[in-house]
Amino acid sequence: MADLSAQVQEPFDLVRLSLSERVFVKLKGERSLVGVLHAYDGHMNMIMSDVEETILLVEPEEEVNGAGTVQTVKRQLEMLFVRGDSVILVSPGAR
Amino acid sequence: MSASPPQDQAGASAGTVGTPADFLKGVIGKRVVVRLTSGVDYQGLLSCLDGYMNIALEQTEEYVDGAVVNRYGDAFIRGNNVLYISAMESI
Repeated sequence: MADLSAQVQEPFDLVRLSLSERVFVKLKGERSLVGVLHAYDGHMNMIMSDVEETILLVEPEEEVNGAGTVQTVKRQLEMLFVRGDSVILVSPGAR
Repeated sequence: MSASPPQDQAGASAGTVGTPADFLKGVIGKRVVVRLTSGVDYQGLLSCLDGYMNIALEQTEEYVDGAVVNRYGDAFIRGNNVLYISAMESI
């Protein structure tokens, strides 16, 4: 990780070095993706494959508990185009 | 009304003030907190940034309500989400 910093002159270099690798992507709307990054552009539009999407469902009024409950929903997607404006964060080497 | 900002000659020559661009140049390689408009904080080592304020962070810790919720070795943050960048050490 330390020697990586020498190769990163601009933020997009970090994404370029992640091409063909598994990445973690945090999106707006409490969604996240883990998948293989195939392509991206300056808007951060992305093509990903073998993707697992995780959606956080927060239900504020749960009658039984009184408190809000958090529920996660996962789904698999074979090939995906992600519109760049929904991207918050991209991290290489996703777990 | 002048379109250009006032020039503080004394301040500029004393070197106590700089432009926002000077700040951004100065914080590269420093530990910073990046707050997003959503209220989430990212604390880490600032590798670099660009004109859109896209940011590359190393050793990143994600804070929600003051608690660490995630760690990333490296992280690219899309500039449109950034509210501010705060330097954690002197520039």
